Amino acid sequence: MTKRSITFYLNGRPVEAYVSPKDTLVDLLRNLDHFGARESCGQGLCGCCTVLVNGTSVSGCLELAELIEGKNLDTIEGLDAGGELSVVQQAFIDAGAFQCGFCTSGFILMVEQLLDENDSPTPDEARDYLSGNLCRCAAYPEILDAVQLAADKRKSLQKEPA
Amino acid sequence: MTYEILKPETLQDAFGLLDTDDPMVRPFSGGTALMLMMKSGIFSPSRLVVLRDIPGLNGIRLEEDGSLWIGALTTLAELEKSDLVAQHAPVVTHALRHLSNRRVRNVARIGGALAHGDPHMDLPPLLSALNAEVIVEGSNQGRRISVQDLVTGYYETSLESNELIVAVRIPSQQSWQSAYRKFTARSADDWPALGVAVSLNASRNEIQDLRLVVGAATERPTRLEQSEGILRQEGRSGLERATEAAMASVEFMDDAHGSSQWKKALLRVELRRAVQEILDRNT
Ligand SMILES: Cc1cc2nc3c(=O)[nH]c(=O)nc-3n(C[C@H](O)[C@H](O)[C@H](O)COP(=O)(O)OP(=O)(O)OC[C@H]3O[C@@H](n4cnc5c(N)ncnc54)[C@H](O)[C@@H]3O)c2cc1C
Ligand code: FES
Ligand code: FES
Repeated sequence: MTKRSITFYLNGRPVEAYVSPKDTLVDLLRNLDHFGARESCGQGLCGCCTVLVNGTSVSGCLELAELIEGKNLDTIEGLDAGGELSVVQQAFIDAGAFQCGFCTSGFILMVEQLLDENDSPTPDEARDYLSGNLCRCAAYPEILDAVQLAADKRKSLQKEPA
Repeated sequence: MTYEILKPETLQDAFGLLDTDDPMVRPFSGGTALMLMMKSGIFSPSRLVVLRDIPGLNGIRLEEDGSLWIGALTTLAELEKSDLVAQHAPVVTHALRHLSNRRVRNVARIGGALAHGDPHMDLPPLLSALNAEVIVEGSNQGRRISVQDLVTGYYETSLESNELIVAVRIPSQQSWQSAYRKFTARSADDWPALGVAVSLNASRNEIQDLRLVVGAATERPTRLEQSEGILRQEGRSGLERATEAAMASVEFMDDAHGSSQWKKALLRVELRRAVQEILDRNT
């Protein structure tokens, strides 16, 4: 299949890549050795392939790679860019919010978005926001704990004087 | 087999690229529906005409006559978050909360949601009950099609291959009230097994006029005209007869979401609840 060269920003860095028309964002990322977004259902249902396009969450399994040209693509690999885990990442560890971890990068990216939109989500709001993410290990109670932990931590960091 | 992905920047260019007899050439907006069909091998495109870079097809505005104009490329998430929609068609805001998940809503567009023609969708019956229409342009003259007439059958619409939905118009809902009830067989945000949309003009708590539309249980969104007639004549006391008539008049469809018998039973319950829900708001 004929490949085309495209350029885009991957976690803030400009990247050139060769894509075929059939490639999805998950295929593109795998070719760039980024394995955090994973294809599981392949149908938009489970959220394991969650990535951010221009700051908005999408299912990487349903988006054509060619359409990322010129845009920002952010993945789980970009969250600890400074060498430090994000508040949400750390909260998932502290709450034990995973077993196998297959769903975790998707959940973490969605929780980052949730807390950007709503700094104090109730458990019901968190459940609703995350209802499109599935965890086969059923770590749901701990994931909700992690949301609470991360929300509290982010708020306390904001209060601290710079 | 490979295919080409083209990104026209004007409607005219898009019409040119779509103007062919090849059924494997398709417009592509959010792509959520097309990607599912492509990944499962149901659809093998020869050309995808991506509409996302065409200006003028975005946004939501209130027109002078009180109607809402919604550009075809408006995402379902934008629709869900719109204050204008919440104010003038709150039933749409409510329905969107359980229409698929957040990531799909971030990508899927209202034009794609109406042009897809899959019976298992929430917006076609709902917008039909609101008496909405799509504004269509093409290589030939533009036209308007009521949402009720847009979907003509199972994955079939009245759009020509070189025609595009450019906007959706929801007329002023003043003096009308609506409810949409969705029943799913799996999670709450799944494709519906049954969707019932009801719009009532019920001033002084008497039914002056109404539209009843059932979706998902049927091959295409279906107006329940007989039931409408009964309620128009008999008012609230005709509700039982109207639900009986709906069950008898509709051809139900068996599918992965449930048997036709089950959907028939669901319609009885959900249609009554939807009408009741609106009448109760006014008492
Ligand atoms: C995981 C998942 C869950 C879902 N759950 C639900 C649900 O609960 N309820 C529900 O209603 N739907 C549901 N859907 C379906 C979803 O609503 C549709 O896939 C979506 O609305 C289609 O919009 P799109 O912009 O992605 O369309 P596309 O995939 O781009 O296009 C769909 C069709 O419309 C045509 N088209 C697109 N834009 C135009 C235009 N402007 N003019 C003319 N033709 C056009 C295309 O050629 C194609 O035939 C779900 C989908 C997924 C993936
Ligand atoms: S793999 Fe994309 S949503 Fe499940
Ligand atoms: S931790 Fe295993 S799928 Fe969620």
